[in-house]
Parts: sequence; structure tokens; C-alpha cells
Amino acid sequence: MLRTLLGIALPWKRRSLVAVFGAWVAFAALGTNIALTAMTGRFIAAAAIGTTVALPLSLGILGLALPMLRYFERLFAHDVSFRMLTDVRIWLFCRLAAGGAGGLGFRRGGIALGRLVTDVEALNTLYPRVLLPTAGAVLLVPVMLLVVGQESWLAASVVVVCFVLAGLVVLLAGFHSARAATGNTAQAIATLRVATDDALSGLREIKVSGADGMMLALVQAQEARVFRTERDFAAQRALIRAVAFLAAQGALLTVLLIHGANVTQTIAAIFVTVVAFEAIAIMPCAGVLAGHATASVTGLVDMAMTQSCAPDPPSPAILPKATALSFDHVRFRWSADHSLVFEDVSLQVPSMGRVAVLGPSGAGKSTLAALALKVVSPESGWIRLGGADIANLRAADVHKKIAYLSHTTHLFGDTIRNNLRLARRDADDAVIWEALEAVRVAHLVRALPDGLDTWIGEYGIQICGAQARRILLARTLLNLAPILILDEPCAGLDLAAQREFFDILGETLGNRSLLLVGQHLAGTERLDRVWRLQGGRLMSATG
Amino acid sequence: MVMQSFRDKGSRKSSAAKMWIKQELARSCWRAFPAIGAGVAQTALAIVQAFCAARLMTNVIHPGTIPLAPFILAFLSAGFMRGTLMLWQEQIATALGISARRRLRSNALTNLIGAGPGRLRGRRAAELTDVIVGEIESIGQLYSRWIPAIGLAMVSPTLIVVTAALIDPVSGIIFLITGALGLMLMSLAGMGAAATSRSQSIELARLRAHFADRIQGLSTIVLANAVEEECKTLAAALNDLRRRTARVLRVGFLSNAALDLAFATCIIGIAAHFSAKLFFDNTLAIVPRALFMFLLIPEFFAPFRAVHAVYLDRITVQKAAEKLNDLPRPIPSEPSPPPHSIRTVSTQGVSVAFENVSFAWDDRRGKILDQVSFHVPSGETMMLIGPSGSGKSTIIDLLLGHARPQSGRITINGAAIETLVPAALARLTALIDQRPFLFTATLADNIRLGHPEAGPEQVLDAAERAQVMAFARDLPDGLDTMVGEGGCPLSCSQAQRIAIARAFLKDAQLLLLDEPTAQLDQVAEHEVLESLRRLTIGRTAILVTQAVFGHEFTGRRLALGARPSAALQGVAC
Repeated sequence: MLRTLLGIALPWKRRSLVAVFGAWVAFAALGTNIALTAMTGRFIAAAAIGTTVALPLSLGILGLALPMLRYFERLFAHDVSFRMLTDVRIWLFCRLAAGGAGGLGFRRGGIALGRLVTDVEALNTLYPRVLLPTAGAVLLVPVMLLVVGQESWLAASVVVVCFVLAGLVVLLAGFHSARAATGNTAQAIATLRVATDDALSGLREIKVSGADGMMLALVQAQEARVFRTERDFAAQRALIRAVAFLAAQGALLTVLLIHGANVTQTIAAIFVTVVAFEAIAIMPCAGVLAGHATASVTGLVDMAMTQSCAPDPPSPAILPKATALSFDHVRFRWSADHSLVFEDVSLQVPSMGRVAVLGPSGAGKSTLAALALKVVSPESGWIRLGGADIANLRAADVHKKIAYLSHTTHLFGDTIRNNLRLARRDADDAVIWEALEAVRVAHLVRALPDGLDTWIGEYGIQICGAQARRILLARTLLNLAPILILDEPCAGLDLAAQREFFDILGETLGNRSLLLVGQHLAGTERLDRVWRLQGGRLMSATG
Repeated sequence: MVMQSFRDKGSRKSSAAKMWIKQELARSCWRAFPAIGAGVAQTALAIVQAFCAARLMTNVIHPGTIPLAPFILAFLSAGFMRGTLMLWQEQIATALGISARRRLRSNALTNLIGAGPGRLRGRRAAELTDVIVGEIESIGQLYSRWIPAIGLAMVSPTLIVVTAALIDPVSGIIFLITGALGLMLMSLAGMGAAATSRSQSIELARLRAHFADRIQGLSTIVLANAVEEECKTLAAALNDLRRRTARVLRVGFLSNAALDLAFATCIIGIAAHFSAKLFFDNTLAIVPRALFMFLLIPEFFAPFRAVHAVYLDRITVQKAAEKLNDLPRPIPSEPSPPPHSIRTVSTQGVSVAFENVSFAWDDRRGKILDQVSFHVPSGETMMLIGPSGSGKSTIIDLLLGHARPQSGRITINGAAIETLVPAALARLTALIDQRPFLFTATLADNIRLGHPEAGPEQVLDAAERAQVMAFARDLPDGLDTMVGEGGCPLSCSQAQRIAIARAFLKDAQLLLLDEPTAQLDQVAEHEVLESLRRLTIGRTAILVTQAVFGHEFTGRRLALGARPSAALQGVAC
């Protein structure tokens, strides 16, 4: 946990000045509220014993100042937490990119990664709804001691005990309860997700078997588990809130029974007690939010701290000019507790050569690409690029030589131009149009009202699979790398679209060398050699 | 390129979602009555407590004027009752959310299963699961928090205004005016914020999605050596998002300020009122009244604040409702054909025929089957051979009744497939898919999917015949071993043998084999083909495959997609 908090806190340091300023505004608002209340109490008591006649002007000023201060408190709190969240997000992005995240794209779906990352949003509430109220509650302790203590030290000590119970103890209780519950709920939800996914992905067989009702019952059994955890947590949360409430009631009754010497002072103390306990009524909720945020972020921080599985060498070798790619007696497994993916694989992709490796899913075709791109490193054996062992090269240098396109390659929610420029930063419009022309989508883009500035994706235009794949191919071709690795680039497309894709590829490949991996061929590929991957070994298929 | 503007689509979706939320609010409000009642009771008790506290404070100002004990006792017992009600209210609110989600999820899932694989084509299971699990979870707060909070905000302040007016009419009017003022300013500010955010909705949506999108495409960025540039783009986008959100919130937070202003005005109004009253008519009765009113002020505004807080989460609920409304639904069942044409086919042998069948999943993408004809007599095996994407699996989908051909006729034992009772068709069919479906349960349960009423001996017999026992014997719990996610990992060929056992158990007369060995290497393929060959003896089978299994199977062959044209044709030889 300490590590988690440190991990979150580190990128926040730069924002501490703004955060402190935001806190001052919040404290000013809290102070104004207390002053307004105390003054009202004093005034009404004075009026009751007949000493004051006119409404003091200061009451009006404070009354106007309070909404304004609260308004600025909220604006500042939002700004601070947004800046912090921005820092955390960028830090997370860079860490994931530098660590094993390149590899994660190969093994875990990007969508799972994306879902995990929405957890970072939980940090949004940390500053305005946990840190500020907690700091305010701590500041209120001496205030209460002073205001109530003037009349009765005994009552003051009882009130402070109640205050600590209703403020800080419930904060911790809420924190622990929520941290445990978040984990349990996440687990229950994950199981529910599996059951639902089972039911939906096996729909063809379920329908044939007439098992609709059975699958629904299975999902509902898992759902019941989610609800059970939720009910348990709701009961705990309610109990914590009730404890906080009863503590506040106890404190209030105590101050009501004071028989102070100074009547106006005593009434003011009662009013202040009411408002102070109202101010800390959100502490159970703050504890829950803190526990939730900590639990959500733990997994993320762990992931961000993961070291790369193929680190760059301390003194990298110079990238050779030659472009032959070869695997020599490569042995590989994803981790020690997994079985071997490759026992002994050797493969040559000569300069300008066109080689295909076919195999059933799970045979390790994508792993071959991951090894060549230095996302992972082999257990033994060598992968050579232009004769140099890539273990001695920087990963970024390897990526300069090898362009990669797979069915998981991402088309970003961005303009068409920016999507293509990812491969070549300095590409001007003429170059981009040329690439689009080559993959036969230029006429479609020209027909769009915004042309290259058209936004793709959920918040723009939707592009069908075959065309998206061609735009991705255009991006890959903009990359001038001499070696191209295609990993099932046509998965999910119909035969006609596959054939057209490989036709286009054949026309545009030029003198690049090609390593194509997939389950089968569409028939229009132009290849020099075809290998079959089976049981961790390569066998020659049709030559 | 399928073009659809996000702006039109988005506004249509969101207005449908708002409508849905309104309907749900109206439909479910009566269920929330106990929760609202508990909240109102707490307000009533708070009024009692304020009354007692005012009396006790009066005793501070004018000591010895009233007996203390009954007020202390009443204050304490009202406090305990409030605490108890608080516990109870939380429980019923949770229960409301739970029952609503159970209902929504059950409906949505029933709809999806009812819609069938044909309608779900092109939607990934993971994406649908996200809606069924994640989005429905976030809709729950509509029922557990929104509805009770709105109900409470309508009743509780009214109760306080009426009580205040009965004791001191002017105070009642002050409550009424400041409350109305607060609500009015709050909704004005809310409308202003909505207008501000609408004017830049696309930019905000894009910026919000930016980070998740870049994380999803992280490996693409890393492999393009573009991490540094993307970090800069990301920082710029996030800062832009912060500035734009701040612009919306500058207006949005005015609604909180409106409530705060109303609150402060109320305090000052009550103070001014009573200062004048005490000046002109300082009797003993005025003081407790004045204190009572002051203690009511926070109780009066609390329900408004609660509504405001839940209202802030409406975007989440609305987005979830949009996705839920967007799920595919089953086609409303066609008017049933006249009774005489409904028939079940005899289970003694099944023959299948396609007559000039043409089919397209999507009119824009053209026909995937064009004039396909073949005939499989009872007890024979036919191989459909062709590369992936050539429409082989579509033939299986048509035979399973998940889609209907646009032209041509499919007959089973001479009867058109549309006239068959779907349950009867399912009863005589077994499907063995490329990736067999295993759910999280025991091996035996997975086999029993084929025939849920089967006894243990029948399951064991089917497992023997499909050679499941060959590996199940070595497992710690035999057929009672858990499989699926988190269970015992099975290889593709083992999973495939479970699917074959299902077919044996079901004793189906029509076998649809959709590339059953595509995921297997040669050794495993051989084993599975051996089990399949035994399964097909005496049954009608349609085997869809990319390769020809000349040794294992004899029978008719139909090559699909042999011609390199877009539309695929085929006639059995």
C-alpha cells in the first residue's frame, strides 16, 4: 500500500503549490461558515436577553462571502485534481510504454488494458472529497476545543472525543471496509463477466442444445454473488454512517446540557457544534472513496512498475545496414510457469525475401513477431537483424527496421492524417495521398467533406473492416522500414476482401522483405517460401 | 466507407436514452416509496429533535423555566430512531438497485439469447458482455439513489415549510421563498452548463476518449517509435480537456452556489425576522421558536443538496442507458404459419437439400452465397470445401435457422425449413464448431449440455465413445473436473472431443461440423477425425472444411469459392 501511495504521490509533487492554495480557499470557506454560525448564535442569544437591537452588517457580509468562497473552493479543487490526474495519466502512459506494455498488446487485449485504465479516474475524488475534508476536520479539532472549552472543559473533551469518532475513526473504518469490498466486488464482477461471456460466445451451440435457460441461470448465480458482496458492503457502510451520526448526536446533547456562565458564548458553541458535525458528515463517504481509489489504483501501479521483458543493452550496438532477419535455434516461453512456445526454431527472411509461417491459433505465430520486434527475448538462441544479435540493439532501433501490422494494430480515434502520420512524422499531404492511392482508398477519402481531416472512430465516421485494414496498410507502408511483418492482417475479412488486400500488398511491397504469419493463405499472396509451425517447430510446407 | 455522422447519431441516441430514463423513473417510483418514507420519517424526527434542542437552548438563556428530562429523553430517542431508520433506508435503497439490475440484466440477456447468433453477427461477445455487466451495474444508482432522492426532495422540504408555517407563518414564508429561489437559480445554472457543454460536446467526447484510446493502441505506438510524440499530444489533449471542462464547470458550479446563496439568505432572513420580533415583543415563547427555525435550516436544504449530488452522475447513467438501448433485439416473432404446415420431421434419418439458395448478411457487401444447390441423402456425409470467408459457415447458420435465405429453398426431409418448429429442428441437430464452447462447470456438465436429462451412465458412455475418457481418467476428479475459465486447461483436441461426446449423448441425426479440426495440429487432428468418423456412421453430416479429408470421409463434395469472383457459387458434383 505504501508503495501504491508513493507511486501516486510522486507525480503530484509539482502540483503541491496549487494544491496548497486550493486548500487555503477551502479552509477560508470553512472558517466563514463557522464564523457565520457563531455570529448568528451570538446574535440571537443577545437579542433574547435584550442586549442587541440591530442585525450586524458583518452577518450579511459573511452570508454573501460564503457562497462565493465555496464556488472558488470547488473550481480550485477541480482544477487541482484534474492537473494531478493529468500528471498521473501521462506518468502511467510513459511507464506502461517503457515497461512491458508493448508485450501486453501481444498477450492481453488492448481493451482489457483500457478498462483497467479507467480505474485511474477513481483518483479524481481523492483531493476534493478526501484530502480537503480530512484536513478541514483536523483543523476543526482545536476550534471545537476552544469554542466549547471556554464554557466547559469537560463538555469540550466529550465533544472532541465524539468528533474524532465521527470524523477520523469512521474515515479509517470506511477506508478499510471499502478497500476490501472493492477487491471482492471486482472479483465477483470478473466471474460474472466470464459467465456472461460464456453464454454469449457459445450462443450457436447453446441454441442447438436448447440450453438458453440453463445459461441464464448460470449467469444469475454469479450475479447473486455480486449482489451478496454489495449487500454486505452496504450494511457495513450504513453501520459506519450510523456510528458517525450517533457520535454527532452525543456531542450535540453534551453541548446542549452545558450551563455556561456566558449565555451568548454557550449558544454560539452549540451552533458551532451543529455546523462542525455537519461539515464532517461526509467523512464516512470520504473513507469509502479513499479505500476505493487505493484498491483500484494498486493494480495499475503494479502494472506500471513492471520492467520490460526485453530491456535495452547498456551500450547498444550500431544498427547494421543489412536487412536480413534470422532466427537461430530460438527457444521461448512467456514465463517460467508456462510451457514452451518454441523448442528450437530457425527461420531466415533474406533481404527482399517473402516468407510465410502458417499454423493454428495458439501455435506461437504472434510470438514470432514479438520476438523479432524485441518485445520479448528468447530463453536461448539468437535473433539477428542484418547479422547483429538484436539483444545488443536498442528496441527503438529494431523498430526502425521492422514495420508491423496485425489484426490488433490500432486505428486511433483521430483524423485520418494523424493516423497515417504515426508512421512517419514528417509526411506531408502529397505523401499521405500517395499512400492512400496505393491502397485504393484515396477516392473514398476525397469524397469525405473534411478529407484528411475527417475524424475516425466512435466520435467521427465509422469505417468498415476491410477499409480500416487498408488504411492501416497505408500507414505501415509510410514507414520506410525495409522489413514488414504482417500478423493475420486480414482476420475477420471475407475472402474477396482478403484477396484484394494481398493484391494491393503485392503491388506496393517494393523491395521490402516480408514475413507473413497466419492460419492460412488467401491465394493471392506472392511468396518465396511457406513454413508450417507445429508443436513448437517449423516444417516446410509448399515451397 | 460507411459514413454516419457522430453528431446526428449521438443526439438521436441520447434523446432515446433520456426518454428511457423518464419511463423508468415513472415505472419504478412506487417501488421507492418505502425508501422515501424512511427518509421523510427521518425528517420528521429531525423536526422533533430540533424542537427539543430549541427548548434545551432556551433553558441555557433562561435557566429553570422548563423541565429538562422529557426533552432530553425525546431528543435521545428520536436520535436513536433516526440512526435505525438510516440503517434500514440504506438497505432498502441497496435492494432497490439490486432488484432493478437483476430485472434489466435478465431482460437484456434473454433478448440477446433470443435474438440468436444471426442478429449478433458482427458484435463481439466481449463488447456485449461489457454492456450486460458493466453498464447495467452503473445504471443501478438510478434506482438506489436518484429515485429516492428526488422523492425525498419533493416531500421533506414541504413538511418543514408546513411545520414552520404552523409555528411561525413568516418563517414558513422565508423557507418557501429561499427554497424556491435556490431551486430556480440552480436549474438556471444547470441549463447554462448543459448549453455550454452541448456547444462543444464532440470536442469534449473526443478528448475524454483520447487517453483510453491511446492506452488501447499503446503497443502500436511503441512499435511505431512514437511514444515521446504521443506523450506530448496526450499532455496537450488533457490540458485542452481540463480547460474545456473548467469552462463548463464555471457555469455548472453556479448551481451549487445558488443553493449556498439560498442557504445564507435563509439564515440572514430568519435572523432579521426574529431580531425584529424579539425587539418589539421579547416574550419567553419567541426564543425557542427562533432557535427551532435556525435548527431547521440545514434540514430544509439537505434534500436539495442530495438531489444535486446525484444529478451530477446523470451523464454516467445516460451513457449506460444509451448502450443498453443499443443492444440487438430479437426480431418480433413472425405471425405463425397456419397449423397444418407446422410439422416435426421424423427422427429416422434426415435428408437436407439446398435449392438455388442465395444469401447476403449485408446488402452493401454483396451476396456471400449465390445460387448454391446440393442434396445430402439420409445417413451420408457431405464435405463443403473452401477457404475461410467463402460462406461455408453461413450455410451452417442457415441450417441452424439463425438466418433465412433471400432467395431459394432449404428443405429438411422435403419440408421447407421455415415451416419446421425451431425446437424440433434443434432437437435433431448437433453442432461441432471450430472452437467448441466450454462453460465454467464440470466436464460432465459440459457434456450434458447435449441432453440435460441424461443420467450418469449415459454421460459416461458418450464420454467413452468420444474418447473423452482417454484423458479424463488421468484428471484428479475424472468427469467431475472443473473446466472453463479458471478451471483445468484443456487442449483444443480435448475440448473438441467433449463437443463430440455431446453429439453422441444427444444422438442427433443431423451433424453440422464447422471446421472441427482447423485449430488442431496434425496428430490431434488425426485423433479427432477418428472420433468424428465414428460419430458420423449412420447419421447425416455436413462437414465444412478447408482441407479435403479423403481418407477419413467418403461422400459428396462441394467446393465453394473455387472461382476468384466476389460472389461464390457452387453445385455439388
